Amino acid sequence: MKRITSAGMSRRSFLVGSTALGAVALSGIVPSLAQEFSIAEPIAPLEADGPFRWIDSGDQKAVFYKAFFKKYGEDRGIEVVYDGLPWNEINTVLPLGVRNNTAQDAFCLPLNLPPAFAVKEGWVQPLDDYIPDLAAWKEGFPAGAFLEGINEFDGKTYGLPYTSARVTSAHVLFNRQYMQDAGFDPETTPLDWDTFRESARKITENSKGRAYGLIMGGAQVNRWADITRTLAQMAGRACGDTSIGTGIDFRTGELVFDSDEFVGAVELLLALNADGSIFPGIMGLNAPQARALVPQGAAGMILQGPWNIPQWERENPDFDFGIAPPPAPAGTTGTYVIAGSLASSANTMFINAKAKNPQIAADVFHYLGTEQGQTDWGNVVGPSDPPIFPAAQANSTMSERSKAALAMFQDVIRIGPNPFARNPALSEVAKAYVEPTPSLAQTVQGLFTGQASGIKEQLTTLKSATNTALDAAFKAAKDGGADVSRDELVFANWQPERDYVGADYKAL
Amino acid sequence: MASSISTVPHRAGLGHRLWQSRIDYLFLVPGMVIFGLFILYPLFASQWFSLLNWSGFDANQAFVGFANYAELLQDKYFWDAFARSFIFTLSTVPAQMAVSLVFAIILNNKLLRMSALFRTLIFLPVVTPVAIIGIVMTIMLSPFNGPVNIGLLDAGLINRAIDFLGDPNLVLWTLAGIFVWKWVGVTMVYWLAALQTVPAELYEAAKLDGVKGWQVTFFIVLPMITPFAIVIALISAIGALNVFPLIQSMTQGGPYFASEVMEVYIFRNAFATLNGAVPRLGYASAAGVFFGLAIMVLTILQIFAVRYLRSREKPNGA
Repeated sequence: MKRITSAGMSRRSFLVGSTALGAVALSGIVPSLAQEFSIAEPIAPLEADGPFRWIDSGDQKAVFYKAFFKKYGEDRGIEVVYDGLPWNEINTVLPLGVRNNTAQDAFCLPLNLPPAFAVKEGWVQPLDDYIPDLAAWKEGFPAGAFLEGINEFDGKTYGLPYTSARVTSAHVLFNRQYMQDAGFDPETTPLDWDTFRESARKITENSKGRAYGLIMGGAQVNRWADITRTLAQMAGRACGDTSIGTGIDFRTGELVFDSDEFVGAVELLLALNADGSIFPGIMGLNAPQARALVPQGAAGMILQGPWNIPQWERENPDFDFGIAPPPAPAGTTGTYVIAGSLASSANTMFINAKAKNPQIAADVFHYLGTEQGQTDWGNVVGPSDPPIFPAAQANSTMSERSKAALAMFQDVIRIGPNPFARNPALSEVAKAYVEPTPSLAQTVQGLFTGQASGIKEQLTTLKSATNTALDAAFKAAKDGGADVSRDELVFANWQPERDYVGADYKAL
Repeated sequence: MASSISTVPHRAGLGHRLWQSRIDYLFLVPGMVIFGLFILYPLFASQWFSLLNWSGFDANQAFVGFANYAELLQDKYFWDAFARSFIFTLSTVPAQMAVSLVFAIILNNKLLRMSALFRTLIFLPVVTPVAIIGIVMTIMLSPFNGPVNIGLLDAGLINRAIDFLGDPNLVLWTLAGIFVWKWVGVTMVYWLAALQTVPAELYEAAKLDGVKGWQVTFFIVLPMITPFAIVIALISAIGALNVFPLIQSMTQGGPYFASEVMEVYIFRNAFATLNGAVPRLGYASAAGVFFGLAIMVLTILQIFAVRYLRSREKPNGA
């Protein structure tokens, strides 16, 4: 670590900016947007029983709902209570609410909870009785939005899959001036692993201690897994990214943590660190804090998601930045980042089985599943949680840069198989699965800091421990009466270069 | 004889006495309800949860007896966190007590001007939200233009910036230092209260006898307030074992578990699992109960220590 100077970015600006943005990150404060919504007539007579209540994970979604529900409540003459809570609170509050019959009328499921579980436990109820001409309404969604085992069960429709999961949390966002000074143009020629490393080194060198090539939220441990897996997938090691499918090559059903691509991805991160190209102090930064430092000139690149784009455009309108795909090794083509489903499972909304106002929930669901609702959504939320309708993505008023990011995702992200869509009973395996410690994220973090050594050895140990944990989870599920098999993690007809769709499940 | 017997007061039955004092007990009800809801229920519920294989999500609570405890005993990360909690406590409590005692003795001097201002300044971090301290300290300690590093570099004390929160060998000590800084004001107040128990006559007598200032402190004041030290140490230790907000806001237990104390470990297992894994509330509860028992043992040891010290204070034969 070199002697640091305060030239370029002043200490004052660093402190002021970091504090302000840190506070924003902590409090979830976001500017309210004056927004016009085109809300159609109700789909059925509405009669409120107390306030209509809605809960989800907030963030940019909260910006939309706070504005939308204000107008919706006025139009419909009802009171609406919206709660946007962090995931750890949803994970605690919602199950308690369901058990105590105090849960909201509409909710997203706790993170990691398979929808099959919520259906089986009687937490949620189908939309069929509330949305007229349901089949026609569903036809407006892109193919693959509704899947048996994900949001359909026994022919009934349960969830509202209204945001796209074709998003990566680890694409390149960069300072155009720094990158130009370093002699690279990722928007014309996407970075490969070599140029990624070289550009980071040159940015650091050019800045003479004022900035670094790459910044990350190293204290937010999941970032290490997200970045490593994305780099490995771009190197050609296609694998799953969620729950019991994490790190599994579905063509064989085998874990691939110890593959050359994963090893290479970790080696790349360590090489960047050895070059001195990574912002010092990343272990004290979470992802929002790291994000806040880029527009201030502290770093040339960050590997994060498209949610940076509207935030930077809004809060740092003078910051000139570009976007590019996640780096792949030189000469690699036809590799993709794999998403677990077309619709974001985390954002999928359900109607409480004991909702006091199920028809109002369905009315809102219906609006969000129309092109107008999707466009309104895209106008406010932008690429953070993009609308699932391609037309809404194209027609919304989000910035050209945001639209370019979504177009880029069409090129580099493919929808992979989802084990729960094959056999909903696998949710019993997910419930029994105990992720080994250290996980992929923790292992990579340990390797990065030097607390663990031997990349191949550590990743092989991780693979072995994960296999043991999966076997134990399958056994526990079977002992509990679930009809499951580990063979169901093998999707022999999967081709990572194209989306895995409903017909593929049927062909198994 | 008969008359003497008749003078012994008749002791009313328990029920009668309760009824007689019913208004008093009525006023206790709100406190007891709150105590039951927020202290007793969580206490017993966590013990029950610790015997379950339960995610906290569903109604399926599989009773597994002491299996969670058996697994805990073999969990390297549990023992590491357990050890770190006590290392953190054993390092912060003496430092906090010593520094605060110095502050208290100095500020207890009635001749010191602006002592109220100094007390306020020292107490200020206590009332500052931990989350704010976490953010500010992350900035202050940053190896990239952090004021602390700049100061050390400018003073020539170091020749390269120190990554206080990213170096696994430094992170726990850095957090301990911040913790002491934040809470030293409270301990100082305890010491100031203890110092009020030293009779003014003793100071005057010592002055008349020509005892010097430091001798007064070491040979008169400190022996007088030593019994308070046990209680203050206990309160400080309990505080040092409740360090979750500070660590979660600054390092989340990292890097690579280097600052993972018991509370962070419990939180990680109960709520903050990664990659789609379902949380383990039962297992986390077992860790919490185990840790609680360990603290209880410490508390009992403290009681014995107080009794021992008091017995030494009593005159022979008393």
